Amino acid sequence: MLSIVFFSASVNQLLRCASHMLRKKLPFLHSLLSPVSRHVGHLTGHQYDVIVVGGGHAGTEAAAAAARVGAETLLITQKIHTIGALSCNPSLGGVGKGQLVKEVDALDGLCGRAGDWAGIHFSILNRRKGPAVWGPRAQLDRQRYRDFIQSELLSTPRLTMVEGSVEELLVTEPNPEEPGHHRVTGIRLANGSHAISARSVVLTTGTFLSGSLFVGQTTSPGGRIGDAPSSAGLSHTLRERLGLRTGRLRTGTPPRIVKDSVDLSLAKLHLPDSHPTPFSFLNTHTHCKPEEQLPCYLTFTTPGVERVVRESLQLNCHIQQDTKGPRYCPSIESRVLRFPGRSHQVWLEPEGVTSDLLYPQGLSMTMPPDIQLRLIREIPPMRRAEIHTPGYGVQYDFVCPTQLSPALQVKSTQGLFLAGQINGTTGYEEAAAQGLWAGANAARSALSMPTVTLSRTESYIGVLIDDLVSRGVTEPYRMFTSRAEFRTSLRPDNADLRLTPKGRCFEEVGCVSSVRYQESLRVRNSLQDALTALQALFLSTSSWKKKLPSVPISETKSTLLTGLDLLQYNDVTFEMLASAFPESLSSFMEFAQRLKIEAVYKPHCDLNKKEIERIQREENMSLPQDIDYFSLPVSLSDEVREILDRVRPSTLGAATRLEGITPAAVVNLLNYVRVTEKKKETHRNQRQQEAQRDEELCANSASLPQ
Amino acid sequence: MLPLRPVCGGIWRAAVHTVRMSRGAPPYRLFSSTCDGAPAALADADTIFALSSGHGRCGVAVVRVSGPASATALRCMAGFTQRLPPPRTALLRSITDPRSTEVLDRGLVLWFPAPRSFSGEDSVEFHIHGGPAVVTAVLQALGSVPGLRPAEAGEFTRRAFQAGKLGLTEVEGLGDLIHAETEAQRRQALRQMSGELGRLYQDWSDRLKRCLAHVEAFIDFSEDELIEDGVLNRVDVSVSDLQAEIERHLKDERRGERLRSGVQVVIAGATNAGKSSLLNKLCQRPAAIVSPIAGTTRDVVETALDLGGFPVLLSDTAGLRDSSDLVEREGVRRARERVEQADLTLVVVDSHLRSVLPDTGTVPCVCLLMHRLCLLVLNKADLLPEKQRQKLDTELRGVSGLPAVRLISCQTNEGLKAFLTVLHSSVKTLCGDPLFGAPTLTQARHRAHLQRCAAALAQYQRYRDTDLALAAEGVRLAVTSLGRITGRVGAEEILDIIFKDFCIGK
Repeated sequence: MLSIVFFSASVNQLLRCASHMLRKKLPFLHSLLSPVSRHVGHLTGHQYDVIVVGGGHAGTEAAAAAARVGAETLLITQKIHTIGALSCNPSLGGVGKGQLVKEVDALDGLCGRAGDWAGIHFSILNRRKGPAVWGPRAQLDRQRYRDFIQSELLSTPRLTMVEGSVEELLVTEPNPEEPGHHRVTGIRLANGSHAISARSVVLTTGTFLSGSLFVGQTTSPGGRIGDAPSSAGLSHTLRERLGLRTGRLRTGTPPRIVKDSVDLSLAKLHLPDSHPTPFSFLNTHTHCKPEEQLPCYLTFTTPGVERVVRESLQLNCHIQQDTKGPRYCPSIESRVLRFPGRSHQVWLEPEGVTSDLLYPQGLSMTMPPDIQLRLIREIPPMRRAEIHTPGYGVQYDFVCPTQLSPALQVKSTQGLFLAGQINGTTGYEEAAAQGLWAGANAARSALSMPTVTLSRTESYIGVLIDDLVSRGVTEPYRMFTSRAEFRTSLRPDNADLRLTPKGRCFEEVGCVSSVRYQESLRVRNSLQDALTALQALFLSTSSWKKKLPSVPISETKSTLLTGLDLLQYNDVTFEMLASAFPESLSSFMEFAQRLKIEAVYKPHCDLNKKEIERIQREENMSLPQDIDYFSLPVSLSDEVREILDRVRPSTLGAATRLEGITPAAVVNLLNYVRVTEKKKETHRNQRQQEAQRDEELCANSASLPQ
Repeated sequence: MLPLRPVCGGIWRAAVHTVRMSRGAPPYRLFSSTCDGAPAALADADTIFALSSGHGRCGVAVVRVSGPASATALRCMAGFTQRLPPPRTALLRSITDPRSTEVLDRGLVLWFPAPRSFSGEDSVEFHIHGGPAVVTAVLQALGSVPGLRPAEAGEFTRRAFQAGKLGLTEVEGLGDLIHAETEAQRRQALRQMSGELGRLYQDWSDRLKRCLAHVEAFIDFSEDELIEDGVLNRVDVSVSDLQAEIERHLKDERRGERLRSGVQVVIAGATNAGKSSLLNKLCQRPAAIVSPIAGTTRDVVETALDLGGFPVLLSDTAGLRDSSDLVEREGVRRARERVEQADLTLVVVDSHLRSVLPDTGTVPCVCLLMHRLCLLVLNKADLLPEKQRQKLDTELRGVSGLPAVRLISCQTNEGLKAFLTVLHSSVKTLCGDPLFGAPTLTQARHRAHLQRCAAALAQYQRYRDTDLALAAEGVRLAVTSLGRITGRVGAEEILDIIFKDFCIGK
């Protein structure tokens, strides 16, 4: 088997050579997949750097990122062929979520490129509302998406995949030099009790942690329909052995409808963008040709739908439970109950180019299948519709994420990382973002490199993780642009500038390939040159008027304006300036749109800068994780000590954002951090000096005459 | 909150009961250390100013300015047009208003260029006459200098600390100091917020939050959700109304509401403990009706006093007890509110009721729970038999961490003199607090935040049709600015409004 893995690695190199252009053909590798990784016997005794448990959006990104960083990585999943499956909606991106996809791509993750490969309907949401809140989104072909992810993973060097169910997490005494009560050493598989050791383990079990499925009045254990439930052992280890606090959340998925049974002429046609915009910074176009894109359809619920929901309430277990579900992705039951007498939107989305199914977005439901059929038939285009697979609800455990560090490592357990729904989030993009970050950090930790964090001032991934680890969740967490304080700086168009350089250098993250890094440098330098060239155009308003007669420039304003000032005008495009000054600007035409956005947002980003710097300063002051807040020799009230002890913020910045922390407490903590840092530094200096002395001593003794 | 241990009977129960009753309402959080609360303290590019000397009757007041624009302030207010004065030298100058060039006062000015100043930054000190009119005028004039804003709580000290100007031992006490400052500001803000001005700000804040929630909902959801287009039009109307109202308010030169100044001393306790008798004793006239019937006082009775030169506003409140009488219940509510706003509380307890001392752990709760200054007054000493009095005395000595306790009798004037001495020194300490009762400072702060709020709303109007993200940024800034007066607003709160107002589901 190992030889096959090596073989796939060489194919990967071939692929990478071709990866500048979008690959026209996926390799045949996925057909090889199943034989590759079915035997686990020889894995026992093998020492991996990183084991990733789970093959969903978090798991695949985690495994790929860990391998990119340089770790020998093993991905364990229940069924190899469901790796990269889209369990719920066949779409990627959107407002807020699209930003996450762009950021994952900027760090060389998979989902952006997979979306470009599998997308069959691209559109930029919020196009009229300003580039900072544009939401790149695509409907996906399920099969193509899975194929892309699988072939990408197979061709990733240092990555092995194996089929199996994890029974137990192996833990031992902690490394005394680091904080924590336990240290993870590997996992044990069910049936056969194979133990596989690893320095880091990333758990991305999604809805499978003590998951139960609900349809009507029946409940069965499981995390996704058609898949075996995961063993109770893992849940047990987390709760009993590691003492982690868990909570319970719920979610649901709609029934899948047979396409031919729907009269789409009764629904409103919704066309994609005529020029699809790819997610990935590496792609200039999508796999799907513009004219080959498929449409979506919009329809509405009727009073009949509400009647069916009300009549079937007593037959609906899931809806009666008070477990927290997402407010922004409610089942049709909660929608009509919370906002009665209204007509609610239902989107009919294609599931793929060759698929016979439609996905009715907005109709997630958990009533018995026969009533589900009655319900959908209350909606005009679906009067005669047939259900292929009924909708169902899932309830699952999540680990309260305040127990994690900003590197997504469990604070009390060295080497254990969590990502995705296990942390209380919902959505593919949220899962992918965490997966990438947890995987990169798991690899760094395994390779004895310090873990790294992303600030909420520089990325949506940072906002997501900071919200999770410093505030926790009370309902499934979804990204919104309104969660980002510095939304005007964290735009989808500049994710590469913000993150790729950071992800490249080995000292920082080390998860970005050199191809991508070089490209981002080229883009950054070109943009800088272009902005300099624009600022160098320094003309009086009357000269500008002569150059651009169609633009209303008020002469009373300022007498001298730069090209950058002009580009901030609503009706001035970069193309207009470039045609007026071809000699200095025409070489930057490739970046026309990005330059226009940069120009408009520049004054606002400059205003943000001061606040961002302040927050970053505070975030750079880390609070030791093993600190005993109750005995800390600084002046803090018992109330504050209790909050700090409960939440254990990782940085001073996180501490200031906690409810109930007073300015006085922040100053005292600041003082503590300063003093301990100074002490550490002197200690380090001393050690260095000692080492130097030792070396000198050795050198001296070596040169001593015998 | 501290856990309350079970209390046995006697005085301590009465006292703790007072505290509990007075804490009926959840504590307000007006100054928080979150993104838009404390941070000003750590952002140091701004130039800040504040009255640094104490309140009360003083001959000289010191106003401090710190930050890069200090020199500008010195130039345009002390007439140093050519060059700056020699560092660290006191000069007598006319201090003028930079807008009207009207002379406000003649006083000493000192110039401390960085880094040799208290805060480590460029600093200026104005030593002016202590009258409130002069101080207010100088503070307002400073507020009109570009780049200057009123300091936040503890900001000077924090800057000094950041610049490494304070040694470790000094820093030890710093937290307590800042805590005291914020606590004083909280009380003061509470006083204002419970008035008409407070209601006005709160209303603006609620409307702004709603605007923001609706814009955010329109950005985060509208494309494939059912958010009607009308939402944004309603926001437009709201924003321009708010902008106009705030600007009108800023132009209004009248002081909206006269702030009650002076140390707020509140008498509180159980019914029939002798609170009204104490008030009458202190103001030396029968200001409040006294009778042996429990629940005689039903409303707050206020008297202004001059206590050894310091202004004191003394309030007698209804006895704290659960009552079915509607009028009395309202009286108890008002009493609680008063205690919440008090600078100093006199907890009056009937000493002859019982004097069984409970387990000692409960006693410090009295003062700690209140997180504020209080004096424990054991009244009706005349009814206390000698034996019991000695017992009480030994018991009191056995308890550590008590607030100051005085045994008095309003009937025989016993212990009254000693009590007045303690009261006087407490009031004196309070008046030394630079933040205490300085309405001008608070008003200047409000003004600055309101101006920023109005400017931010103009940004919404400017970008409304071209870039909604930038327009929303304007509303966000406006909410943050107003939040500095009314309390912090978090992303979660905005999301809550969104989900309450819209059915959003995908």
